[in-house]
Amino acid sequence: MPVFSFLNPSFLWALPVAAIPVIIHLLSRRRLPEISFPTTRFLKALEPNEVRRLRLRELLLLLLRTLALLFLVLAFARPSLTPRGAVTHAAAAVGILVDDSASMTALDEQARPRMQGALARAVALSEAARAGDELYLARATRPEDPETGRARDRVRLARALERLEPSPVPARLAEAARALRLALGRSALRERELYWITDFQRSNMTPEARAELGEAVRAGIRVYLLPVVQGRTPNHGFEAVDPETRPGPEGRGLEVRARLANHGDSPSDRLAIRVRRGDALVGGGDATLRAGETKWVSMPLEWGAARDSGDVPVVAETDEDAYALDDRWFAVLGAPRRLRVLRIAESRAGAPPPRYAALALDPSGDGGSGFSVETSAPEALLSLSRARHDAVLLEDVASLSGAAEGRLRSFLHEGGGLVVALGPHADADYYSHHLFPGLVSLTLERAEHAPEGGAFELRARVPGHAALEGLAVGVNSPLTQARLTGIMLGRAAAPAEVVVQTTGGYPLLVTAPSVSVFLSSLADDWGDFPFSGAFVPLVRGMVAHAARAGSAAGGEPRVGERPSAPLAEAPSGALFTRGPAGYSSPAAVETEGALYRAIADAPAPAPGFYTFESGGRPIATAAVNPDPIESDLDNVSTDSLRVEASGTRGAAAVTVITTRGALEAHLRDTRRGREVWMEFLVGAALFLIAELALGSALVIRP
Amino acid sequence: MSQDRARLLDPRFVSKLSRLDLKARLVVEGFLTGLHRSPYHGFSVEFAEHRQYMPGDPLRHLDWKVLAKSDRKYLKQYEEETNLRASLLVDTSASMAYGSAGITKLDYARQLAAALAYLMLTQNDAVGLFAFAQGRGEQIPPRSTMGHLRPLLLLLERLAPAGGTDFAASLHSLAERMTRRGLIVLFSDLLDEPERIEAAIHHFRHRKHEVLVFHILDPQELLFSFEREAVYIDSESGDRVTTRPQELRGDYRARVAAWKERLRQVCIEKQADYVPLTTDQPYDRALLEYLSKRARLL
Repeated sequence: MPVFSFLNPSFLWALPVAAIPVIIHLLSRRRLPEISFPTTRFLKALEPNEVRRLRLRELLLLLLRTLALLFLVLAFARPSLTPRGAVTHAAAAVGILVDDSASMTALDEQARPRMQGALARAVALSEAARAGDELYLARATRPEDPETGRARDRVRLARALERLEPSPVPARLAEAARALRLALGRSALRERELYWITDFQRSNMTPEARAELGEAVRAGIRVYLLPVVQGRTPNHGFEAVDPETRPGPEGRGLEVRARLANHGDSPSDRLAIRVRRGDALVGGGDATLRAGETKWVSMPLEWGAARDSGDVPVVAETDEDAYALDDRWFAVLGAPRRLRVLRIAESRAGAPPPRYAALALDPSGDGGSGFSVETSAPEALLSLSRARHDAVLLEDVASLSGAAEGRLRSFLHEGGGLVVALGPHADADYYSHHLFPGLVSLTLERAEHAPEGGAFELRARVPGHAALEGLAVGVNSPLTQARLTGIMLGRAAAPAEVVVQTTGGYPLLVTAPSVSVFLSSLADDWGDFPFSGAFVPLVRGMVAHAARAGSAAGGEPRVGERPSAPLAEAPSGALFTRGPAGYSSPAAVETEGALYRAIADAPAPAPGFYTFESGGRPIATAAVNPDPIESDLDNVSTDSLRVEASGTRGAAAVTVITTRGALEAHLRDTRRGREVWMEFLVGAALFLIAELALGSALVIRP
Repeated sequence: MSQDRARLLDPRFVSKLSRLDLKARLVVEGFLTGLHRSPYHGFSVEFAEHRQYMPGDPLRHLDWKVLAKSDRKYLKQYEEETNLRASLLVDTSASMAYGSAGITKLDYARQLAAALAYLMLTQNDAVGLFAFAQGRGEQIPPRSTMGHLRPLLLLLERLAPAGGTDFAASLHSLAERMTRRGLIVLFSDLLDEPERIEAAIHHFRHRKHEVLVFHILDPQELLFSFEREAVYIDSESGDRVTTRPQELRGDYRARVAAWKERLRQVCIEKQADYVPLTTDQPYDRALLEYLSKRARLL
């Protein structure tokens, strides 16, 4: 039952005013004139019918007048209704989770930063606090240090909110919610509320975050979801820029590759991309992305003398949209790199192995394509060295000796890559139980041949995968017109990823970090695939994925992480790092096999270039960018979250408050009760109108 | 002249006069002045005296014997004879004390009765007066001499309203006592049950009396045009009714009209003349009704 109270109870002293009609009625009855009349027989004859009815009406009129005055007085006393479970009469512990992640810099429907709306909601919650309330604030990007304070420190909390700015790092909603839940659990107050102020970005609403909602409900905390935006906001942006430049078409010039994503429901048509070095424009192009598409885009670079100058910091830019952080991407471009491939193939029946794959990688034999290929027998693996090769291609090899396999594993551990192409001679049992375990979660069963007259089509399953670079494909779209007549049946399990599959859903290209497995033949044993247009880019993609994954094992540092950069040699003196926004931090050196890596002590606070200095001389530069996880601004339906989190406690356990007005109304209702003076005023007016209508109806009678 | 006559017949004007005999005379004279010819001033068969003939006198009354004997022309004059025995029955119940138009019903009845008495006596009719109310009554038996007027007027002046009306008892009692047939003129507001009034009239009719009923009501009794809520006290029973007149005025008027119609029907059935009057009406209508009745009787 709602609790009824008055915000201005002093007006209740005027309640006796409501008795005025009754008093007047009684006084007028007492003072009625007495008229001597010859006979009352006719009046009395009317009494049973008319007079009683009129008396009833008279009482009704009296009641209406009294109610009108009563409601008028009560309206002035500002009556309020407090909903069931509201915290009007008890102090409350209030947890405020503010999402200050990078996506909160995106603009909302009114072209204002989402953070502005979030802060306004947080301030409203802070200002609604009363004496005795406890307020807890947790930032989604820094959940480890919730700002706490009682309501008497509301000013301090308001100042903290004023200082709150979005951080270009992903939100850790689950951790922030957990910290608040624990803080509220420690409070001695029984009334506990938890407000989620966030954009409910789908990529941030991890299963852990969803589970935390349910945990709060089960802990008896009333949860309120305050989405700062409604609907999906379109956005496009960079997800990566390949630090390696590539030779241009036919070996002329250089190219830089950028990975772009379109997080929207409509295509991004001819998206302009510009690559700058300082203020100079050194490259660029344009790209068209379908709705929801992510792909690598190659753009020519024109910097002439800088071609072989090593690390060059550049900034890739595209047209600015609602989320500006990913419209600018920092990269340190290295010199073009030639991937050295050791191709292992077996001669059979005195015939040399087919050279389709080798020709696809290095058609001219001079490495101008960015690949150099050395073909050897399996025994060559015994002398395999990371210093001489970047990747190994096993092409229809039946099996490896234990020594060769051991050396191969060492090579992979040192950062090398492995490409396995099966074929009619490959021993499925060997690969399943010896070579693949520890490298890729893939089990082979047997060779499967297409029925007579039939064939397997190649269909892309992960169009944006690096192994498919250069192929304009969509999900489940055919890669080529070529057909395969035989494949090796296999089952992949995570973390292995099926990038290409055949009709019938059989895995054809399975990748894992540093490993690519093609479950058919790269020769013409099982079809005409080597003669198709997709053959060259797919073979190069498989090799590039395997070879480059190793070199990028350290990964590109993100905002919020410690900046790091590979070093050619160990520095002679102490390292120091300088970055944007006055960033400076000592740095350390770590070894990665034969390589060195400089790592700053302090996390990067913002995107930009971070320079490592030794003895006052810059020796390496790291490009730090925001995490692309924040780029997809699609949000989760708060209603679905509400239903999911409410569980068996009913939908009332979680409340969705979509607008600031609704939040203010909610705070007014729960803190002070819902004011119903207007309803009372209307009620008084209605009673008055009814009284007038009833009175007029009586007078009309003759 | 007509204005003066109208004033003489106006009850409110007449009531301002102090002496009832004066009132009666003025009313009758005012009334008779308006008549073109009085067909009721007649001659009786009993000789009273001779008068010298004057030119223009009708020869019908010339005393031929005296002319033959003395050669003088004398007219025979006859003493007018009483040809009607009227009893004026005035209701003096408490309800007759009501008056909203400057005159009470009893005053109206009193003045009307006085005027009628005067008129009757001037016509040599015998007039008696009976004042009745519940449990009491006063009476003066009918006589036809002008000297009889004074006690009649004295009694009329002395009448005071009190008590309730009980037609069954009072009128039945009167009917029993009036052995000689005559004209019964009833002045009352008839605030009793129509059945009881019917029984009383029936009693008079049974005794071969002619009955003329002047039903006197105050205009307010008919219209009930009070404005504000009040406690209405029954002047006879003392019953109190609190009501708002504007709420039930319509129904009240309908009921009163139905009641009057019922009384009219009762009188028609009993071959009595029913004359509804209100205290703001001039007396001439009542007097005319009487004379009309008298003409029918003689």
